[in-house]
Amino acid sequence: MSDVVSIVLKRLGLGLITLFVISVIIFLAVEMLPGDIAQAVLGQGATEENVAALRKQLGLDQPAPIRYLDWLAGAVVGDFGVSLVTQSPVGEVIGPRFANTLFLACYAAAIAVPVAIILGVIVALLRNTLFDRVANVMALTSISSPEFFLGYVLILYLSVKTGMFPSIAKLSPDMTFFELLNRTFLPALTMVLVVVAHMMRMTRAAIINLLSSPYIEMARLKGVPAWRVIIKHALPNAWAPIINVVALNLAYLITGVVLVEVVFVYPGIGQLLVDSVTKRDFTVVQACCLIFAATFILLNLAADVLAIITNPRLRYKK
Amino acid sequence: MALNYFVIGYYALLIGASCMTAHYNMRGAFLALFSLTLASFVMGIIGGEPALWSVTVGAGVIALCAGTAFAFREFLSIILPHEGAKAMRSAPLTASFGLFVIGTYAIAGIFAPIIAPFGEAEVIAQAFEPANEEMLLGADQLGRDLFSRLVYGARNTVGLALVATIAAFVMGALAGLLAATVGGWFDQFMGRFADVIMSIPSLIFALLMLSIFGTNLFVLVIIVAIIYSPRVFRLTRAVAGNIVVMDYIEAAKLRGEGLWYLIRREILPNSTAPLIAEFGLEFCFVFLLVAGLSFLGLGIQPPTADWGSMVRENATLISFGEITPLIPAGAIALLTVSVNFVVDWMLYRSSGLKE
Repeated sequence: MSDVVSIVLKRLGLGLITLFVISVIIFLAVEMLPGDIAQAVLGQGATEENVAALRKQLGLDQPAPIRYLDWLAGAVVGDFGVSLVTQSPVGEVIGPRFANTLFLACYAAAIAVPVAIILGVIVALLRNTLFDRVANVMALTSISSPEFFLGYVLILYLSVKTGMFPSIAKLSPDMTFFELLNRTFLPALTMVLVVVAHMMRMTRAAIINLLSSPYIEMARLKGVPAWRVIIKHALPNAWAPIINVVALNLAYLITGVVLVEVVFVYPGIGQLLVDSVTKRDFTVVQACCLIFAATFILLNLAADVLAIITNPRLRYKK
Repeated sequence: MALNYFVIGYYALLIGASCMTAHYNMRGAFLALFSLTLASFVMGIIGGEPALWSVTVGAGVIALCAGTAFAFREFLSIILPHEGAKAMRSAPLTASFGLFVIGTYAIAGIFAPIIAPFGEAEVIAQAFEPANEEMLLGADQLGRDLFSRLVYGARNTVGLALVATIAAFVMGALAGLLAATVGGWFDQFMGRFADVIMSIPSLIFALLMLSIFGTNLFVLVIIVAIIYSPRVFRLTRAVAGNIVVMDYIEAAKLRGEGLWYLIRREILPNSTAPLIAEFGLEFCFVFLLVAGLSFLGLGIQPPTADWGSMVRENATLISFGEITPLIPAGAIALLTVSVNFVVDWMLYRSSGLKE
């Protein structure tokens, strides 16, 4: 076991370092502004006194390393400072929106993961048949479409023309859970379409790769029925690649969510990020970017760690 | 469901075709056709005649695409010189369809001012005026001809994505080749640098940078190039790493050739095949990112015609059941799909995934 533990610890350490570097990059990005934040917020016409006052209020009179540590210490406990535009605490604005985004991502994942894995396995078993080719073409089409194209197609056909689902994902706190699922169905479906295609293709590649290995051929040759070959011989070794595929695509959802939220006017963190970029509200942008990047890195980290743990070859001492 | 000539003809055709395929032992085609027949029963009962019509229209569009692709493949395999013709003859229909679409877009982009009946920023009608003889697709939210803007968009959007891809490619490939040839700490440093950039989601990184440097085209190209160059870097380094250890490289080094000569004359010619396929994939990523940024209002700025922002500007029409905003979005999707089809074929040819 110690082998696995040390590999996992190494990977965790690497992940933490990456996270640290990313936080430095996000912090430094704002430092690269021509002039500084105070100048950028108040514009060219501001008087010296105003700029100086804002600098003091934002703590810009401190040196950069100290401000970085302050910012990081706050960020760890969810305090991201004050929005430059609305003056309200960023943490309070982001909190509920982040919960909404997580809900949407989980909703999409709950549909996408089982569908994609089952489809991927079927397609891999039926490889090079007509079904496989049709599925491949459809998957490529759905991967290549921008999220807003899929979103508007779904709105047009499932909402405007047939009225089956609401097109705008407005949320209110007194909605029942079922109502919530109905309201957020179209944005979730849009993400499902993109992610299922990715996951299906990757699962297919992983399974085909596995099925061509000698021990599977051996099992077939000694007369094991096809379903037992899959369940007893292929699946235990397939878990690692499949888990990897799932986690990578969940990480992909994190980016896709920005465009989907804008299309469906969903009150999530992606929408907030885009708004803040247009308003040049740097503290909010920093906070959103940090959250997105951290989630992305953590999911990738989880993928690697799970792949290490489920790898049967690492479980036994040599 | 009314039992009229259309419905009877529809089922007669499907069942007849299924029987034909079954008779000639085409199992795949038979299964596909017969399951379509069964699915039509269900859809016909739920959706009535319109559902059957949409199936017919869909089948017609697919048949038209397949026909175009087939004709284009034959055309290419006749006019191309020997090597190309041989490759084309074995190409799948999807690949020749992709080539056809890419060719069409290229022509539209290059000859935009000749093809488009109006200028890209020319106001010629009322806002959202429907299509008529003058305007093929109607007017947009300011009364500009949508078709002309679509044609100019092929030049602006695709052009920008192409420039950004080339920039990313040159940066990534140069760094990769250098890292493979020089090795040592330079290799290590570039590798870790690429890891860090790849661990930030691309759209998020782009938004962060755009919020700081503002939205202008030069900044956009540089940012996109930086975001996507690590992918090229990794591939080039891996491919070049396999070549650097070859004997002929050793021979060239002993001859006293310089670094630049090694890269240009020995390594690059032997790593073109995977790099070309990567260029296609990279273009798709860049194109989708640029289109996404434009859709968010942070890419190409108006009044320049651009597909992403055209979708956003006309988005309100969707709630009236109009497909106008879907046209530029569909144009984006069609090009990406086509490039993917061609890349898929090239990867298949070069990687020996011919199980």
